Amino acid sequence: MNTLDFLLQGFSVAFQWQNIVFAFVGVLIGTAVGVLPGIGPMNGVALLLPITASLTAGLSPENAAASALILLAGIYYGAMYGGSTTSILLNTPGESASVMTTLDGYQMAKNGRAGAALAISAIGSFVAGIVALVGLILLAKPLSKIAINFGPAEYFALMVLGLLAVSGLVGKSMTKALIMMLSGLALGTIGIDAVSGSARFTFDVPVLYSGMSFLTIAVGLFALGEVFKTVLENEKLDGRIAKINRVMPTKQDMKDSAMPIARSSILGFLVGVLPGAGATIASSFAYVMEKKISKDPSKFGKGAIEGVAAPETANNAAAGGALIPLLTLGIPGSGTTAIMMGAFIMYNIQPGPLLFTNHPNVVWGLIASMFVGNLMLLILNMPLVKIFAKLIDTPIKYLMPLIIAFSVFGVYAVQYTRFDLLLLIACGVLGYFLAKNDFPLPPLVLALVLGPMLENNMMRALTLSNGDYMIFLQKPVSAVFLVIAALWIIVPMILKAKKKKSTQSKIKKELFVG
Amino acid sequence: MDRMFDRYAGILFFAVAAFFIIGSRSISTNSYGSSVGPNIFPLGIGILLGLVSIRLIYETFRYQNEEKKEEKLEYKRFGTLLAASVLYCLFLENIGYAVTTFLFLLIGFQTMKKGGIVASLLISVTFSVGVFYIFNNLLNVPLPSSSNWLGIL
Repeated sequence: MNTLDFLLQGFSVAFQWQNIVFAFVGVLIGTAVGVLPGIGPMNGVALLLPITASLTAGLSPENAAASALILLAGIYYGAMYGGSTTSILLNTPGESASVMTTLDGYQMAKNGRAGAALAISAIGSFVAGIVALVGLILLAKPLSKIAINFGPAEYFALMVLGLLAVSGLVGKSMTKALIMMLSGLALGTIGIDAVSGSARFTFDVPVLYSGMSFLTIAVGLFALGEVFKTVLENEKLDGRIAKINRVMPTKQDMKDSAMPIARSSILGFLVGVLPGAGATIASSFAYVMEKKISKDPSKFGKGAIEGVAAPETANNAAAGGALIPLLTLGIPGSGTTAIMMGAFIMYNIQPGPLLFTNHPNVVWGLIASMFVGNLMLLILNMPLVKIFAKLIDTPIKYLMPLIIAFSVFGVYAVQYTRFDLLLLIACGVLGYFLAKNDFPLPPLVLALVLGPMLENNMMRALTLSNGDYMIFLQKPVSAVFLVIAALWIIVPMILKAKKKKSTQSKIKKELFVG
Repeated sequence: MDRMFDRYAGILFFAVAAFFIIGSRSISTNSYGSSVGPNIFPLGIGILLGLVSIRLIYETFRYQNEEKKEEKLEYKRFGTLLAASVLYCLFLENIGYAVTTFLFLLIGFQTMKKGGIVASLLISVTFSVGVFYIFNNLLNVPLPSSSNWLGIL
C-alpha cells in the first residue's frame, strides 16, 4: 500500500460517526479553551486527557486510541485558533503563541476591523493546517524509514537531544530548565523497573510500585497550577471587548494577506518540526519576517492585516509540524505533544517509526481527522466567532472551582486512588510556585514521558556493548546527535556570556515593540 | 527573580538529588545478562541533578539586586480553596462523588466571590449530579456512591 491508500484508509477511520463527533467536540472545546483566559492548549489537553480515557472505555484499544487522539489533537489545534480571538478583541492573548497577534490585531479591532482580523486568522489557520498536513504526509514515511534503522544507542542519543533541545529553549534560565528536566527523569525512575523488574524507591508502599502517574502530574502541574495562579493573583481582564461588525474580509484584505499566509505556513511548519521551538517562536519569527519583507514596515503595529495573518498562520502550522517528531520518532518536542505522547502510551501504543506499520489506522485516522477538523474549525469560526467571543466574559468565580472538580474527576476516573488525588493537588501547588519563579514545567513533563524509554534504550545499548559507555560515541549517528545536543547547551551559554546588554534590549525592541 | 526562593529551591532539589543518589545504592548493581544494573540510571540522574542544583545555588549569589515588586496576593482565598480541595480529595471515596463534589463546588464558588447563591447552588447541583449520572450510569465509569448512607446517588 502506498501513502495515498493509507490516507484513504485514514479517512475511512476519520469518517466513522464517533470520530466525527470526537473531532467536533475536540475543536469546539479547543476553541473554547483558546478563548478562555488562563487556560491554553497545554492545560486543555492535560485536563481532557483523563476524560477521553473514560469516554473511549467501551471501544477496542486501537479504536479507542484513534478516537482519543483525534479529540486531543482537535483541542490542540482548536486552541491555537481560539487563542487569536482574545488577542484581537481584548488585547489579551489567550495563550502565549498569540502574543504577536495582539500587536496588529487589537489595533485592527480599534479601527473597527475586528471581524476582518478574526476572519483572516481563521483563514490563515486553515491554510496552515492544510500545509502542515501535507508536510506531515510527505515527511512521515521517509523519516520513519530512517528512524527504523536506529538501534538503542541512536535512540538514546536522539532522546537526549530532544530533552536538551526543549530544556535549552524554554524559560529564562537554562539551569532551572535542566533542573526540571532532571527532576522529571528522576521521578520517572520510581516504581518497578521495566528492564530488570526490580522495585526502585518504592519503600514497600503499594501505590508507588506502578510509578508516578504521568497523567496525574501533568494535570496537576498544568491545569491546577494555572487555577491556583488565577485564584492567588486575582487576575482581572481590563479593557472593553471590541465590537465585531463585518466578519468577511474584503478583497483587498485577502490580497494583502495571501502571500504572508503562504510564507508563514511554511516557516511555521518548519519551526514546529524542530524540537523545543514550537508555536510561540514560530509566530514571532513570522511576524518579524513579514515586517522585514514588507514594502512599508511602518504600518505594522498600526493595524496591518499582514501582522495578524502571519503569526496566526505560523502558530497553527507549527502545531501541525510539532506532531512530526512525535509520530515518526516518538520524541515529543513540546509540552503539549508530550501530553499527547502520554495518551498514546496510555493506550499501549508506542509512537515512533513502527507506528505507521503497526497501527496505520490510528496514525492515518488521526492525520485524516485533522483535515476534517480544520474544515470544521473554519465553518465553526466564521459564523460563530461572536458567540465564542462571549466566552471571554465567563466569570472566573465559576470557572476555577469547576476546573478543579474536572481535574479531580478526570484523575480519579483513571487512577482510582486517593494517593493520586492528593498528588494532583500537591502538583498543582508546586506547579504554581515553580512556574511563577521561572522554573519551566514542560521539560519536567517531557522527561517524565521519555525517561523510561531513555533508560530502556540506554540499558539495551550498554548490554550490547558489555557495559562500555563508548558505544554512544562509536556509533556515528548517535555521536552526531550527542554532539548537537551538547552544542545546544554550550552555544547559548557562550552567546550569553558574549552578548552585551545593548544587543539584548535591541532584539527585545524588535520583537515586541516593533 | 526571587533570590531566596531560588536558593531554597536549589537546596531542596539538591536534597532530592541526594535522596536519589543514596536510594540508588540499595538497588541491585547488576541484572541478568548484563553488567549494568538498574541502579545506574537513577544514580546518574541523581548526580547530574545534584550538580545542576549546586550551580543554581551558586547563581543565586550573583543575581543583581532587583527591586521587589509588591504583589497583593489573595492568600486567604487560595488557602480556603486549597483546604477545600484537600478535604474533597480525602473524603471523595467515603462520602461519595456527587455529595462531595456538590459541597466542594458550592464552597469553591462562594470562596471565589460571595453572593449569587442561587446560581452557585444550581451550577453545583447540575455539575455534580450530571457528571455522576452520565459517567456512573451511562458510560459505566464507576464513581464512589453515597447510596450506602444516603440511599441515592
